[in-house]
Amino acid sequence: MSDAKLLKDIIVAIATLIDEGTFEITPEAINLREMDPSRVAMVDFQWSKSLFDEYNCSQPTKICINITEMLKLLKRAGKGDSVELTLDEERRRLNIKLRGKYVRTFSMPILEAAVEEVPTPKITFNVKAKITTDGIKEAIEDAALVSDHVSIEANEEELIMRAEGDIMGATIEMRKGEGALLDLEVKEPSKATFSLSYLSDIIKAASATSEISTIEFSTDMPIKIDFPIREGKLTYFLAPRIEA
Amino acid sequence: MDTTSSQNTVAYACNPKLKEAYKLLRDGVSKRLTVILIGDFKVEYEGRAASTLDFGERILIIKRDGAVLVHRSEGYEPVNWQPGGGIIHVLLDEERLTVRAIRKNPLEVLKICFRKVYALLLLRLKDVSEFHLYASEEEMREAVLANPSLIEEGFKPISFEKKVKPGFIDVYGVDLKGRLVVVELKRSPAGREAVLQLARYLESLKGEAGRKIRGILAAPGLRKGAQKMLEKLDMEYKHLDPKLCFETLRKWKYRKISDYFKKTAAD
Repeated sequence: MSDAKLLKDIIVAIATLIDEGTFEITPEAINLREMDPSRVAMVDFQWSKSLFDEYNCSQPTKICINITEMLKLLKRAGKGDSVELTLDEERRRLNIKLRGKYVRTFSMPILEAAVEEVPTPKITFNVKAKITTDGIKEAIEDAALVSDHVSIEANEEELIMRAEGDIMGATIEMRKGEGALLDLEVKEPSKATFSLSYLSDIIKAASATSEISTIEFSTDMPIKIDFPIREGKLTYFLAPRIEA
Repeated sequence: MDTTSSQNTVAYACNPKLKEAYKLLRDGVSKRLTVILIGDFKVEYEGRAASTLDFGERILIIKRDGAVLVHRSEGYEPVNWQPGGGIIHVLLDEERLTVRAIRKNPLEVLKICFRKVYALLLLRLKDVSEFHLYASEEEMREAVLANPSLIEEGFKPISFEKKVKPGFIDVYGVDLKGRLVVVELKRSPAGREAVLQLARYLESLKGEAGRKIRGILAAPGLRKGAQKMLEKLDMEYKHLDPKLCFETLRKWKYRKISDYFKKTAAD
């Protein structure tokens, strides 16, 4: 693909949850669906072949790689570099070729892939909110000043985030159609609480991929955070905190 | 009223008059029996804070060490309590039977005022068994994933139940310095076979990693010979108590996303 930065941004977004991941490569697309080691959060990623300048895959394969290591290599890409990924099945290695002012080829080992397939959570969402990525990022940062978890609730008019710490509290209100909250659909008022460290890591890591994000949630159910990306999807699920 | 006694039940009374309840209760407390009282009472607490709970039907337990618990008809926690070691006074006036549990340091007073006693039970209970808490290796693994610092500060799990040729690695991760770490968990003191098992996992990963891998055997103890063998094979031991793992899990506040993979009937 012509822009190595695009790939780097996606790997940053994935690496926030996992260190090792299995990519499923089919003739149509690249998929990755993994949970973080504590299984509180998961990432669901897909890139269709149409995103790539050139895409060759004759039969579906799974490759497990160390995402953290891959990110280190991709961070070496300069502005305007193109990137080419090839799988050397015989030597069980992934080659990453960065083409810019000169050509660099890195190779990294393919790891033993996990047998377990990760399904998608089955949840009925009652709230859907479209927010600017900057807006939600700021709100999460505000809440993180006072607590390590935040409750997110919604009624027909607004989205409210409340964080209660030991000594301080924060309330963040976003009105429909004003500023950060671009759209809000509420089937029934809902409220759930989530870890701020997970939310903030996810949103920070994925913020480079999209200027808007969609969150969906229901009372005491996981939250779905979707970053619309070109020719694919980047979605996170985060399990709720148990309220005592 | 009906009072009787058997081996462990010293006395019991159903719907006793306050005066009868008072006599039995005073006797029970002075003999350090375990007392259970069910009735209509109010509670006042004064100490580091203050609380009041107006009349209502609930349960009062006075244990033989003087610990006092007030339970309502819901919830596992007592609504009011006083730890053992304090003083317990039983008083009676015209219309009320009062129990005062006083803790000296810090000064805390719990005052329980009955206007009606439904049942009273005085017990001499024999219970000398030790409390054992068990966590399975799977629970130990969950605890380590939830709180990786149980292994060491800065430990970061990458995966668990990782398949390698000789079997499955319990927890696989990296340490602060970026070195790979393989953790083998045992719920009972680990012997030499556990050490060998860990060594086989490390051996099988050598080709894949291409750098130094640390092997950590985490268990509540080591059996004879295991320590020497660990040292010889350049691996480490980490004391990990299953009880601590169990408590870590109890405090863990987050659900798992995998709990939502199966659609429940409620949806």
